Amino acid sequence: MSTAVSTSTTGGSGERTAVAARARKVVKAFGTGDTRVVALDEVDVDIERGQFTAIMGPSGSGKSTLMHCLAGLDTVTSGQIWLDETEITTLKDKKLTRLRRDRVGFIFQAFNLIPTLDALENITLPMAIAGRKPDREWLDRIVATVGLADRLHHRPAQLSGGQQQRVAVARALASRPEIIFGDEPTGNLDSRAGAEVLGFLRQSVDELGRTIVMVTHDPIAASYADRVLFLADGRIVDEMADPTTDKVIERMRTLSVEDTSRTEAAGSEQ
Amino acid sequence: MTILRTSMRNFVAHKGRMILSAVAVMLSVAFVCGTLVFSDTMSATFDRLFRTTAADVSVAAKEQRGAQQNGQRTAQQQNVPASLLDTVKNVEGVASAHGTVSTETATLVDGEGRSIGPTGGAPTIVGAWGPSARKQFDVVSGHAPRGPGDLVVDADTADKKHLETGDRVKVIAVPGTFTARISGIAEFRTTNPGAALAFLDAGSAQKRLLGKGDVYSSLNVTVADGVADRTVKKRVVAAIGDDYQVQTKGESVESAGEQIGSFLDFLKYVMLGFAGLSVLVGIFLIVNTFSMLVAQRTREIGLLRAIGADRRQMNRSVLIEATMLGVVGSVLGVGAGIGLAVGLMEFMGTVGMKLDTSELTVKATTPLAGLALGVVVTVVAAYLPARRASKVSPMAALRDAGMPADRRAGRVRALVGLLLAAAGGAALAATVAAGKVSEGWGYLVAGIVLTLVGCVVVGPALAGLVVRVLGAVVLRVFGPVGRMAERNTLRNPRRTGATAAALMIGLALVAGLSVVGSSLVASVGDELDRSVGADFVVRSDKPVPEAERAVKSVGSLKHVTDMKMVNVKLTAPDGGTETTALTATDPTYTEDVRQKTLSGSLADAYGPDAMSVRKSYAVRHGIEVGDRMTVEFLGGRTAKLRVAAVTADDSSMGTGATYVALGTVERYLDADRLPPNVITFAKAKDGEADAAYAAVKRKLEQYPQYMVRNQADYKQELEDQIGQLLNMVYGLLGLAIVVAVLGVVNTLALSVVERTREIGLLRAIGLSRRQLRRMIRLEAVVIALFGALLGLGLGMGWGATAQDLLALEGVRVLEIPWPTLVWVFCGSAFVGLVAALVPAFRAGRMNVLAAIATE
Repeated sequence: MSTAVSTSTTGGSGERTAVAARARKVVKAFGTGDTRVVALDEVDVDIERGQFTAIMGPSGSGKSTLMHCLAGLDTVTSGQIWLDETEITTLKDKKLTRLRRDRVGFIFQAFNLIPTLDALENITLPMAIAGRKPDREWLDRIVATVGLADRLHHRPAQLSGGQQQRVAVARALASRPEIIFGDEPTGNLDSRAGAEVLGFLRQSVDELGRTIVMVTHDPIAASYADRVLFLADGRIVDEMADPTTDKVIERMRTLSVEDTSRTEAAGSEQ
Repeated sequence: MTILRTSMRNFVAHKGRMILSAVAVMLSVAFVCGTLVFSDTMSATFDRLFRTTAADVSVAAKEQRGAQQNGQRTAQQQNVPASLLDTVKNVEGVASAHGTVSTETATLVDGEGRSIGPTGGAPTIVGAWGPSARKQFDVVSGHAPRGPGDLVVDADTADKKHLETGDRVKVIAVPGTFTARISGIAEFRTTNPGAALAFLDAGSAQKRLLGKGDVYSSLNVTVADGVADRTVKKRVVAAIGDDYQVQTKGESVESAGEQIGSFLDFLKYVMLGFAGLSVLVGIFLIVNTFSMLVAQRTREIGLLRAIGADRRQMNRSVLIEATMLGVVGSVLGVGAGIGLAVGLMEFMGTVGMKLDTSELTVKATTPLAGLALGVVVTVVAAYLPARRASKVSPMAALRDAGMPADRRAGRVRALVGLLLAAAGGAALAATVAAGKVSEGWGYLVAGIVLTLVGCVVVGPALAGLVVRVLGAVVLRVFGPVGRMAERNTLRNPRRTGATAAALMIGLALVAGLSVVGSSLVASVGDELDRSVGADFVVRSDKPVPEAERAVKSVGSLKHVTDMKMVNVKLTAPDGGTETTALTATDPTYTEDVRQKTLSGSLADAYGPDAMSVRKSYAVRHGIEVGDRMTVEFLGGRTAKLRVAAVTADDSSMGTGATYVALGTVERYLDADRLPPNVITFAKAKDGEADAAYAAVKRKLEQYPQYMVRNQADYKQELEDQIGQLLNMVYGLLGLAIVVAVLGVVNTLALSVVERTREIGLLRAIGLSRRQLRRMIRLEAVVIALFGALLGLGLGMGWGATAQDLLALEGVRVLEIPWPTLVWVFCGSAFVGLVAALVPAFRAGRMNVLAAIATE
């Protein structure tokens, strides 16, 4: 199975599609000839609106590549990706940049903030770049949600790792993007700070109606999601709704076993 | 050994980051080596020339001491009687002797009335075609001069001025003007750097150039084989007495070399000034590069320290890298320097000085000096960063961030800088308060050095302030991009300070010199308006009596005042003696130039056997009006002259001149000893100024070596002269800016590399390429404007102080060239934009994902 496609493209509300992002037959290959490595192998995927989706898989499975391609950070070798109704695979850098600025939010594993700007400036940066005024009410709500009200004028160096990631979450939410991508957003945090950040992500889906896609290798983090996609060797091999930590650990274990066996099988064929 | 290997690998790995520093080292070394090669080649060329032209032993009239003062001739050319030749011929050891004729006082004019002399300051030499000339020249077309009316010119001049055999040439000589036909063209056997040469037959040369048939300008002796030049010289002196100057070949070459030496030295110092400036500016660039390399490598250094490398080794590893950079930069610099020398020689060719690039002289010491300079400068500049590297603690390996900023040190540094700047300011204030130029000069230099060093030291602290102000004024317009640019500039004030300091130095020099220059122009203009009463000024570097008579024949002139400089030995009543030049003029001079007189009256000083002295001389020797001075006219008789006036020193016209009437001079100096005019003033009859100006110009048309200026033209000429000097200053500025731009490029390029992840993040969250490039450009502009502000401010302070000091010498008007300064300020912003081109382009091209993933 290389697909994680829902059947309907329109949601219950009827106004907008129920799918925030979709990928069709996406191939991403690095290098050519003998050194060619296929990171994504004809992947089809739908990201449902208003849901928290986690992408999991062993190292080298292509999970980060998939996220980068969905987010318009990376180009694809072939195939198509839509963000809402916009096909982003044909966009040039200029439009892609604007799309990231206006319609996508990012949370990276580390180094999320510009060290010269304080927390509030970092949160409002995408809007400042776009030359838009932030929505004061919305901003206050987000700041209150992530609990940073008294830290707004601190520089990143004066914040703890957990606080920094919370600022990053607030920034990702602040411009009300259609979709937020997180690349192991809790990868650098201890379990308590990680739980805090994941809690905010969950909250922003439940209470603020956001769409979040998160790459992780942590089963606990994945358990906060509504749905988990499993990748191996550049293909989507499984998906799981309403995951729990144990279920995810179980699935991951079998995945690595399959993985190993397949590699061995491939080895014996030669 | 391992440390050495790490250094080597680091050097190779970061060669991209070293390129600009290497270029800075290269430029400095290139200027030094270029200067050395160029001046060595010039010296060698002239040496060869003088060696071929000088006779074994030569006999000439004793040159009066100080025959040239500030390029003005203060004595008439003296000759040797022809009768002396027989005496010399009979001296034992003389194989042969002949008389030569040669003068630099004649002007050659082509058929269209233009001078065919060289324009670059080299002489025009007209002489007799004799054994000496035959030894140096080959006639390549036509024939040698055979009789009156024949003339041979040198091939270079013929080529430059498009002369051919058969062309008519007018020779304006002191005894009179005559016309000759080019009978042949002769080529020098060695490289002739630029003099124009022409030859007549021996008889005509004596009569028409020297004015008498029985004199020579010098006697050239060829010494018999096996006899030393020195021995023959002694015997010649014994035979003819010591009224003549007798020189061996060695002495002639040496004294000729000394004359050309001052010109060479001037060139050499100008170029070494360029080199010094680029070294100074380059140091900042190198300091920045190594600081950034050390900062980037903090974790690596920490790791090495953690596994047991000691501080000294870390220090050494950075210095080893610096040495390698120095060596690479210097080697390139030596090569570039030789190229520069060749380029300079070609350039000199276009302005009329011929040098043969195949005779390039590279002494062994030149590359050594270049290499030593480059390596020493680089290592010294890298010393501070190296010390910082040695201070990295092993803990740094574990920390994520770079070195913590040492805030206390920053404050101490700011304090030290402020103290230095304050001391400099005090020195400048002392300059203003100084009563004498000689006294204030030391304060001025101290003030300049201290304020400069102070500003460099306080720079980082000042950067915070100035950049915030600039940010509020300029950057706010650009919204968040501007804000980020501002913060980035402030992120490392030390780096910003050092980068801006490089620009500051150059701009400060230029601002200071242009303030002094324009104050000079304004003061001279002001002085001219106030004190010059003459309508016209007539000048020539080769005056002839004929032309002076022509000026005097103009009917619409009220009077004409001749001015000559006369060499004298002054003895004051208190016994103090001094060899100097008197300014001898007609009494009408008092109408032409109004001089401030402190006591007595200048009109009285023009009476018979009277003179004036300047204030400083009067004070030094306790002279008052009515005292008697003993004046020995060199080459003439001694007079007792009465002091009838004391003149003021602080005038830019005729500063410190000692005046005497021409009539008085004529009584003690024979007519053939009287020097030519230095300058001639003329005043028109009332209401006939325009007509008189036109008439004088018309009269002098046939003497192209003469220049006539009315007040407006004269002012313009002075302005042009100072303008030319300022152009040289702007050349210096150009070089300083090139190196400073390299510094800005270097800083930006390295900080872009340093901020790769940040840039990746910004791009990921939607900063467009254009915005990113704009951010980096704004950073560059802010750094440049900061440097410009500091530099121009500093330079204006220096310039104003210098003017205040020079007011004692007549530069009374302070003129700040605002348009120039505003242009330079705006130009600096442009310079910033240019410097940001490549770093901004590279930052824009970064792959977003790769940038984010960078460790």
